[in-house]
Amino acid sequence: MAVADAAALAAGVRAGQKLSTALGLQPGLAVFERDAGREQQALDSLACWAGRFTPTISRQPPATLLLEIGGCRRLFGGTEAIVAAALAGCAEQAYAARWAAAPTPLAARWLARGGGGLAVDAAGLAAVLDALPCTVPGWPATIVDRLESFGLRRLGDLRQLPAAGLRRRLGHGPVDDLARAWGELPDPQAAFVFPESFAIDLELPARVEQAEALVFAGQRLFAALAGWLDGRQLLLRRCTLRLRHDDGPPTVLALNFAEPAADEGRFLRLLREHLGRLQLREPVEALRLQADELVERPGESGRLFAQAAAGEGAPACLERLRARLGEGAVQALGEAADHRPECATRGREAVFDLGRFLPSTAGTELASMGVGTTAFPAASGPSAACPDVVPPPSREDRAGPVAGGPASLAGAIGRHRPLWLLPVPQALAERGGSPHWHGPLRLLSRGERLESGWWDEGEGGAAGDLRRDYFIACNPQGQRAWIFRDAAGWFLHGLFA
Amino acid sequence: MPSPIALADVLARGDVWRGDALASLPAATIPSGYAELDAELPGGGWPRGNLTEILVDRSGVGELSLLLPALARLSAAGGWLALVAPPWLPHAPAWAAAGVAPERLVVVGAGRQVGWCVEQLLASGGFAGVLAWPEAGIDARALRRLQVAAEGRPVFACLWRPTAALRTPSPAPLRVALAGGDGDLSLRIVKRRGRPVSRPLALAVPRPLAFAGRNPRAVAGPAFSAAADRGLAAAPAA
Repeated sequence: MAVADAAALAAGVRAGQKLSTALGLQPGLAVFERDAGREQQALDSLACWAGRFTPTISRQPPATLLLEIGGCRRLFGGTEAIVAAALAGCAEQAYAARWAAAPTPLAARWLARGGGGLAVDAAGLAAVLDALPCTVPGWPATIVDRLESFGLRRLGDLRQLPAAGLRRRLGHGPVDDLARAWGELPDPQAAFVFPESFAIDLELPARVEQAEALVFAGQRLFAALAGWLDGRQLLLRRCTLRLRHDDGPPTVLALNFAEPAADEGRFLRLLREHLGRLQLREPVEALRLQADELVERPGESGRLFAQAAAGEGAPACLERLRARLGEGAVQALGEAADHRPECATRGREAVFDLGRFLPSTAGTELASMGVGTTAFPAASGPSAACPDVVPPPSREDRAGPVAGGPASLAGAIGRHRPLWLLPVPQALAERGGSPHWHGPLRLLSRGERLESGWWDEGEGGAAGDLRRDYFIACNPQGQRAWIFRDAAGWFLHGLFA
Repeated sequence: MPSPIALADVLARGDVWRGDALASLPAATIPSGYAELDAELPGGGWPRGNLTEILVDRSGVGELSLLLPALARLSAAGGWLALVAPPWLPHAPAWAAAGVAPERLVVVGAGRQVGWCVEQLLASGGFAGVLAWPEAGIDARALRRLQVAAEGRPVFACLWRPTAALRTPSPAPLRVALAGGDGDLSLRIVKRRGRPVSRPLALAVPRPLAFAGRNPRAVAGPAFSAAADRGLAAAPAA
């Protein structure tokens, strides 16, 4: 047995027992084999997560993490504040932690191992170390036995003896360790290097069948991701969460952020929305989180006074709406250079201007990334694809004010267009030679011929070749409608609201 | 040493005003663009941070044109607008021509979650205007939630409802009923803060411009026969 939980401890199971003994004490014991690889992964993930506190981290396998917090105490408001935040983070990810803070790395490790839970400064260090038992440093058993036979129980006893004699009797290792712990010898640590790209796996201890239950596991992954983003000074635009099943292809969840973010709370809110909608085909046995698209974090000055947050802001809100309603349900509008009314409006992704924070080159690049358009659900169904070409000059504008460039022309035409368009033109009855819609319609304008779209005639889902005469009309209730007449008769196509 | 928390607490007090916030404090109302309407609306315009209900039965009488000057003003200032569950598809060229930037106009197909969506949009604080078309059966409790979400935010929140909703009370501080006429738009302020309004207003909202032309009539010219011919010719091929 390596470690046992509280219930097993209550039944008498102790570390160091044989498996058969433990099973004898508690027949229903759930036993998991120790896996060095996964321990390593967990330590790596915690090291990434700790990137939020300090950039200088050192891993001490199998289970120790050293954070150099001397330089960031002021930022966080003191050692206690950092320790409290770190412990809260560990508890959130369901890790049990033992901690100590000391001026030298070795002293901190020894104090944590010897019970932990205290922070000492340089003045108090010697007194605290003196009281530690000689078993704490983890020296070889022969040395510990020899110290025992000398009658030396505390490190303080050892420190009082002349170093030269100790070296002769115990070897250099323990004496150098003492000097490092007391800060008399330098003790450089191998720094943890944040990986270039972020991809992290998490094996679940048990199969998970409810999508909501994955939020907890996701929390560990996203905590590590947020720390890694902090360590590398990056922002996340897109990431993928893969849910691996026993068999069959993995379920892939793509999380897109309207505005690059590095905030763990925001990641988790979006994850909850996605998982709330997800129906799992099969139980999940492992998760893999991968950061796909990253942006450099722009430097930003802090404010003099803490600003009260006025809501989460538009980008985060749209992200959550999109996660709940589907990608296509939340779109900004875009204009397309097409004379056919069905094709003149495109849905596009809402793009928030990050350029104001970035150097100009990066800004323009982002802006050009943002204008990728998707077809707006127009008249001919959800996939109305209109090619992005400028139609040939047509005859429809014979009476329109054609002076000026294309922009002014588009603006001029827009003033003659209705604010609302019906998804599908509605056929109107014709009585006595005039169309009817809640009463006879009176034509207020001369016909405007729209004739365009020969290039996608017959293509699936496309608007196709149109030949229509449009009129502005008014019914007895005062409703202004945009109607057209083509070979098939009168249709209502828009409303001047 | 005084802790930064104490300073934040002090700044959060209602009677402490910060000099740098005064300049950017948004006005409580947006001018509607119609002088006679501004004179009747409390504060001289459409309210921010409060629900406005517009009750209208028939679309196409100029009800959106009534709001367009205010929406264009919000959009021109760089604000984001949201349409939640609009009854029809917005036609981008017309909105652009009216001064509303289409790239900052978000259309949300909310399905049956209009209330939730509007609440999120209002509470996010990132939108300058939210126009929503709630289900007919939206109850007073849901409306109350929306009013609470809007309170204190610089957002113009407008709900479109049928005039049948006039019979039920609503927590919205401003309710306006519209009716179309042959010429002007007839506007009645049903509820407002302050004394009630007795007479309806007749507003000359801009109506669609026709392309220049004098005698409006349908011309059944050769175009139709040509289209019919082409339709016949295309039919066997399709």
